[in-house]
Amino acid sequence: MLGKPILDVCDLSVVRSGKQILEDVCLTVNEGEFVGIVGPNGSGKSTFLLSVLGILKAESGFVEIYGLPPTSRKLHRKIGWVSQAAANLPKDVRITVRELVRLGTINSANMFDWADNGRRERVDKAIKMTGLKEVENTDIGRLSGGQRQRAVIARALASEADFILLDEPLVGVDRDSRNSLLRLLDRLCHDEGKTILMVSHDLTAIRQTAHRMVFLEGSVRFDGPTKSFPDFQRLADLRGIQAVHGDKEVYWETTSNHKEEL
Amino acid sequence: MGLGIEILEILAPIMESLAPHMPGEVFPEFFTLEMFQRSMLAALMVAIVGGFLGSFLLVRNLALIGDGLAHVSFGGVAIGIVLGATSPLWYALMFSLAASILIYEMQAREILTGDASIAIFLTGMLALGLVVLRYYGVGITVEVESYLWGSLLLTSSEDLDLIAAISVMSFVLLYLIKDPLLATTVDPLAASVQGIPVRLIGLVFSAITAAVVVSMVQVVGTLLVTALLVTPAATAQQVGRSFRSCLMFTQVFGISSVILGLYFSAELDTGSGSMIALVSAVIFTVVVYLANADWLARSFASFRLRITGISIPWFERVARRK
Repeated sequence: MLGKPILDVCDLSVVRSGKQILEDVCLTVNEGEFVGIVGPNGSGKSTFLLSVLGILKAESGFVEIYGLPPTSRKLHRKIGWVSQAAANLPKDVRITVRELVRLGTINSANMFDWADNGRRERVDKAIKMTGLKEVENTDIGRLSGGQRQRAVIARALASEADFILLDEPLVGVDRDSRNSLLRLLDRLCHDEGKTILMVSHDLTAIRQTAHRMVFLEGSVRFDGPTKSFPDFQRLADLRGIQAVHGDKEVYWETTSNHKEEL
Repeated sequence: MGLGIEILEILAPIMESLAPHMPGEVFPEFFTLEMFQRSMLAALMVAIVGGFLGSFLLVRNLALIGDGLAHVSFGGVAIGIVLGATSPLWYALMFSLAASILIYEMQAREILTGDASIAIFLTGMLALGLVVLRYYGVGITVEVESYLWGSLLLTSSEDLDLIAAISVMSFVLLYLIKDPLLATTVDPLAASVQGIPVRLIGLVFSAITAAVVVSMVQVVGTLLVTALLVTPAATAQQVGRSFRSCLMFTQVFGISSVILGLYFSAELDTGSGSMIALVSAVIFTVVVYLANADWLARSFASFRLRITGISIPWFERVARRK
């Protein structure tokens, strides 16, 4: 059973430096859903996320989260943002996992508060949930890619957000950590009741975990249950890609890093 | 009577009671003579706020902004002097604030990223100062020089009041915004999703930086600002394992730099600002050496074993680590 719609995007068009990146994108994410957005590099996945967060202005169309515009102050405790940790955390800052996760508890309402107001418990809970108890006092610079990504997820969880957006969480994460990370996301969705919107160009990962898949390339080319995600032939048709080698040995051009996965 | 003098009146008895325990011939006078007490207090306050601020500057990759704004302040001081101002530091404050905010905006809008905008302001305002001084026939007088190298020992009551006001205000503000500031530093996008006003925090931080740098110009001089702003924080990063411990260590290194610097400058009769800067650099070198002693000990242990055949348990243990 799926709940009420949490994210409602309608006819979203975004132009960035004179180039049309997104055109008439429509997408609804319901409560408790795990939606994966896939697409090749430059297909507008990140642009989509940034517009959903209200950081990029849309040319036309509208975005509503919990029935509110994305810049609304009421949303601050409801959305959790998980960035590409391996790429985005500054390298030369000495900050422990605990300190990082604690940053997630800050919001516009409490940022000047001196009192704890239950922040400690929220941090403890988030650290426990992500299995980082042993490394909670370790400098994030000394963690593996997978652990660092967990720490960033824990940070989003500490804000007690119910709707979590992840941007390429699997970049710089090795194979074993990747699987446990996906299990963690699955658990967050099923046991903790979080709604998850994950963007990745790792098609296999999305297939493993998401309930629903969206193929984005400028506009939504496919949106449906993971089971019915198209095979290679139909995907190529959707993308308007011609077979390069006739009907012998067919090779579909995808993102350079993940050729084997499509 | 300003804030600085009031703080001094509270601390003077404590300083005087410490004086007999202080080593050296001249150094104890820093605890007894009011003029020297003023300079010591000014240096300590600047070191405490500078260290706190520097920890954030380092993480935000702005290590050189202190140097940049100090040179901008020099341009401001020069204009103040030419206009006949009694305390040119106010001009410095104005220019420094404007430059700091412009640098922030240029970086935030990605007009120029990284150090380039700092470099342009640094040279531009320094040049303006020099040109203005020559053109109006002031030249590099003793007064001008005192802003280049600092004139800690000549800290007047008014200077102390200004430094105290800036230091106390900056410290309180910085303490108030430290959590959101760290959040915007570590991940600006996540911070803005959480509802932290990233731009406002950045602007407030820039303003604090500008003000603290101006107060430092008096103490260590334009050319040596980085010594108290960044060096203690960078030293702390060598030993700290969390942000909180880095903040603590920064204070330890900053305050020791000031006290040891004043001691050596008093005993050896050298400039106090430059001695403080030198001491902080020496502390950095020693700490870097000690923090990386593992591999030094390792190479030393293998050297000993090979040459003398004597084994020292501690070296062995260190050598076997990793």
